[in-house]
Amino acid sequence: MAIALTVGVLVAGGVFMMLRRGMVRVVIGFMFLNHGVNLIILAAGGADRRGEALGGSPDPATTADPLPQAFVLTAIVISFAVTIYLLVLAVTGDADDDTDLELTGREMETPTFIEDAGGSTALPADELGPRAVRRTGSHSSRRRRPPGGRP
Amino acid sequence: MSLLVILALAVLLVPAAGVLGRRAGRNAGWPLAVGLLALAGGLVAVWDDRADPGGVVQQVPWMPTLGISLGLRLDGLGLLFGLLVLVIGAVVVAWSSRYLGSGGHASFYTLMTFFAAAMLALVLADDLVVLFVAWELTTLCSFLLIARSGPEGRDPAIRTFLVTAAGGLCLLTAVAVMWAATGTTRLSAVLADDVWDASPGLAAVVAVLVALAAFTKSAQFPFHAWLPDAMVAITPVSAYLHAAAMVKAGIYLMLRFTEALHAVPVWNVLLVSVGLLTALMGAVLALQRHDLKELLAYSTVSQLGFLTATIGIGTEYAAVGAAVHVAAHALFKSALFMAVGVIDHQAGTRDIRALSGLARTMPATAGIMVLAAASMAGLPPLLGFVSKEAMFKAMAHSPAPDAAVWLVGTVAVLAAACTFAYSVRMLTVLPGRAPADAPREAAAAFLAPVAVVALAGPALGLAGSVAEPLLGAASTAVAGSGAEPDLGLWHGWSPELFMSLAVFGLGGALVLARRPVDRVLGRRSFPVTGVAVVEAFRRGSIALGEQVGRPTRSDVPRRHLMPPVVSLVALAAVGLLTVEVPGLYGDPSTVTDWVLLVLVLIGVALALRARSRVGLLTIAGDVGFAVALWFYALGATDVALTQLLVEVLTVVVIVLLLNRLPSTFHRTGEVRGWVAAAVAVLVGAGAAAATWLLTDRRALSPAGRYFLEEGEEQTGGTNVVNTILVDFRALDTLGELTVLGVAGIAIVVAIESRGLLPKRPSPITEPDASPIRSPRDNMVVLRVTARTLGPVIVALSLFFLLRGHNAPGGGFISALIGAAGIALVYLTAPDDRVSRMRLPYTRFIGAGVVVAVVVGLLGLLEGSFLRPLHVDVLGIHVTTALVFDVGVYLAVVGVIVAAISRLGVDEKEPLPLRHAGSASSVLHSGPPATTTTSKPHSRETAPVGTVHDEQDRTRPPLPERPDPFRGAGPAAGEGH
Repeated sequence: MAIALTVGVLVAGGVFMMLRRGMVRVVIGFMFLNHGVNLIILAAGGADRRGEALGGSPDPATTADPLPQAFVLTAIVISFAVTIYLLVLAVTGDADDDTDLELTGREMETPTFIEDAGGSTALPADELGPRAVRRTGSHSSRRRRPPGGRP
Repeated sequence: MSLLVILALAVLLVPAAGVLGRRAGRNAGWPLAVGLLALAGGLVAVWDDRADPGGVVQQVPWMPTLGISLGLRLDGLGLLFGLLVLVIGAVVVAWSSRYLGSGGHASFYTLMTFFAAAMLALVLADDLVVLFVAWELTTLCSFLLIARSGPEGRDPAIRTFLVTAAGGLCLLTAVAVMWAATGTTRLSAVLADDVWDASPGLAAVVAVLVALAAFTKSAQFPFHAWLPDAMVAITPVSAYLHAAAMVKAGIYLMLRFTEALHAVPVWNVLLVSVGLLTALMGAVLALQRHDLKELLAYSTVSQLGFLTATIGIGTEYAAVGAAVHVAAHALFKSALFMAVGVIDHQAGTRDIRALSGLARTMPATAGIMVLAAASMAGLPPLLGFVSKEAMFKAMAHSPAPDAAVWLVGTVAVLAAACTFAYSVRMLTVLPGRAPADAPREAAAAFLAPVAVVALAGPALGLAGSVAEPLLGAASTAVAGSGAEPDLGLWHGWSPELFMSLAVFGLGGALVLARRPVDRVLGRRSFPVTGVAVVEAFRRGSIALGEQVGRPTRSDVPRRHLMPPVVSLVALAAVGLLTVEVPGLYGDPSTVTDWVLLVLVLIGVALALRARSRVGLLTIAGDVGFAVALWFYALGATDVALTQLLVEVLTVVVIVLLLNRLPSTFHRTGEVRGWVAAAVAVLVGAGAAAATWLLTDRRALSPAGRYFLEEGEEQTGGTNVVNTILVDFRALDTLGELTVLGVAGIAIVVAIESRGLLPKRPSPITEPDASPIRSPRDNMVVLRVTARTLGPVIVALSLFFLLRGHNAPGGGFISALIGAAGIALVYLTAPDDRVSRMRLPYTRFIGAGVVVAVVVGLLGLLEGSFLRPLHVDVLGIHVTTALVFDVGVYLAVVGVIVAAISRLGVDEKEPLPLRHAGSASSVLHSGPPATTTTSKPHSRETAPVGTVHDEQDRTRPPLPERPDPFRGAGPAAGEGH
């Protein structure tokens, strides 16, 4: 019962994260989903036998099924590699869903205490041709060099 | 010499043709012609040496588990078509050596010999699979040969391919049906099976499928459009395609299946009706054309119609008629195409209206054309007359009702009369006065190959008995020995003679009434052309594909993620309602489980509320640790260890990219949030229900029991999970390793090609004097730790690697530990630009995969890929599974190092110059973990961000820069 509920919580949380904006959120949602699915696979081996499959001649009556464990082990490592790849996609290329604010005119989910600190009052994005501003911004930032690098 | 050797030599001729075509240019045609003729000689030799009068059979095992063998069989039909393929091929390539221009012709000769080899394989195939493969190869060859004729060849090539490949799919279906029905793929056995008599329905299905395949290949109505369309190809290609290769494949297929299908009514009706319609239509269209080559193309369509109709009659004598006409058509059509090619080459045009007086200026070519065209018109004493008589005889003696026989005879006579008329029309270029810039006669070497095939017409017409054994063997192979070909010119006053006389009369009238005929035909006879229909199909299918794919053409991840998730919910709902669930084996939940559930619940709830990326990352790490504890609680020690290490390394990687992203997330819209929440709750409930209802309801699985009981005995290892990974299911692990390697390479490629986003200004805005500004000083603790722990961690990882077979550890875990050590060293650098790691990560990945594969190949010594070998070295038991684990280790470390070293620094950024007291030049030493300020998004949102402002703001914090913590006013006003 506890496993089933844990799986439900992880899957629901993962799916909710994946359906919101921002690549990092999607990636974290993907990780939660991985956790949930891995738990399902382990549960498929049966949660009533929990002995470690180690040492000479383990007792089949009390030892956990080793086959799902092997599956999950490889699954973890593969999903790790995919997670890294997804993370790389979040920070390569042009400004996109993760960085691009003006595209939709939405505000950041800024914690209120920082808003109070000032500086983040977002003006209506379409007021001054946000697209143009963004383009100029990202281009100039690409040409930018670290200050010490100039000979 | 055996059939296999001949086929192998034909295949070997293909690369030889490539080399020759590059070295010798167009002259490569001569040696290739000699080679093809030698192969034809080989075929005859094999035939003469046969022990069984029926033919020669050779079987070579190919896919024994499926019962498929490389079966070859040479019977009379195969011999006839094989000789046509090789001899006409030889003539055409010999002729090409003068037709082509100077320069390299490697691709042309390669494709022509490949075509010949594919056709040879087709006619020798005694296995359905081999037959189908060869069939598809001929489609491919014709596509390539048409496509290489330049930009205007592109669309015709694609249309040809689409039409003939559609026929290929029909043949594939037919092959599958026949294989399923007869249980064998051996062609001769399939054809002789009694299933054709036993189940008429099946026979009808196969008959329609085979007929459709043959119709597309042999350009029968309504698939005829591709053949004239393909006229853009150079003339040698057309000559070969029309005379012996591509279109004859369809005729061969129909003749081959006559043995099984000749009594199936659908087969007879379909072939005779479509064949005669095509014959008449093609002949009329040919009469309409002024381009000699186009005229010949429609003539081929018409002649193939005659053949199809004759085959469809299905009697013994019909097989004779078809066999004779196949040979006759191959000879006169190749001669005509090459003669037209000669005229085109010398005169620069193929238009009947622009040419005249060729009899005077090019007498030899004119003589060849007369011979070949007379054979096509069916005039005695040429082979064309004999073959047309044979076909008429088959039609006149068909077992069909009288009315049908009369109808068939009438249509055939009409079509043949049109054939007579357009054959004569071709010759109108010969008489008349030669223009001033008259073309000169071609060289003897250019004309010799054409003359050979053109003279074969009268020679075989007069001395038909020479060809009787070959054609008799062919017709016997098709329809049994009931009919012997009688190739004499005079058969008495028989119906076929009257038909021929009618043809000459009607044809003569058509020739004499040329002007009125032209007036009638000059109007467009069909409102739609076949090419337009094919083109419309092609465009339609592309447009349809666009419509089908439209929903997925979006950059928004939600669009791609939502459909599978929703269908999963639907699946779960169906499952809940329909699946009968067995009783619970016992609820095994313990107190620990409930504690862990609460931990996960808290983690997930916090993650959903997190607004900043750092916060989310921290909480996600906590959830990962809780899940690792879950694994441990379930007795999966290795899995728990792996999860723990992966969690650590994921955090390291995310930390590296946080300073390229805004610190907080976008606000999600209300509606969207609610939809997402609803879907998420449904999926979560479905997953929980499925887990609850489908697990814990049975005892230990048999596989699990086997691994637990036999693991140590079979592998010598006591860590059962690891023995599964490297011994029992090593192939899975090898696949996984490869996936990892690909992910690593993909990471490097993605960063290399797309570039990293620029770094954001550090939100840490401490004054210069603050001790926090100096990363070097800040790193002291970590650096000392790393210096001490580094070697220990490496040693630890090796220890885990070595003991993995017997205790928790193994390739994955040890590699993750090692990578964690490397990550620690990386994090202790004062500046990520100076800590650029020089480890050759791509080589690590490659070496890992190579080591694993080589170990797998060593296993072949023991009989199976990836079987571990056990060796005792100096009394220590060593297994190659350990070496395999080393491969795993290398690949995993490679991937992680690739990510760390490529993400940490944009390699295009130059190294900073080291000023004295360069504290201020070192800024982005880590994530904005301690103080989160509004700085990053003030850059994003301030609309007045001009270029200068941007640069100013992204420079390192300069002394005069206003600090948001000192007062809200200046920060808010910045940039205005």
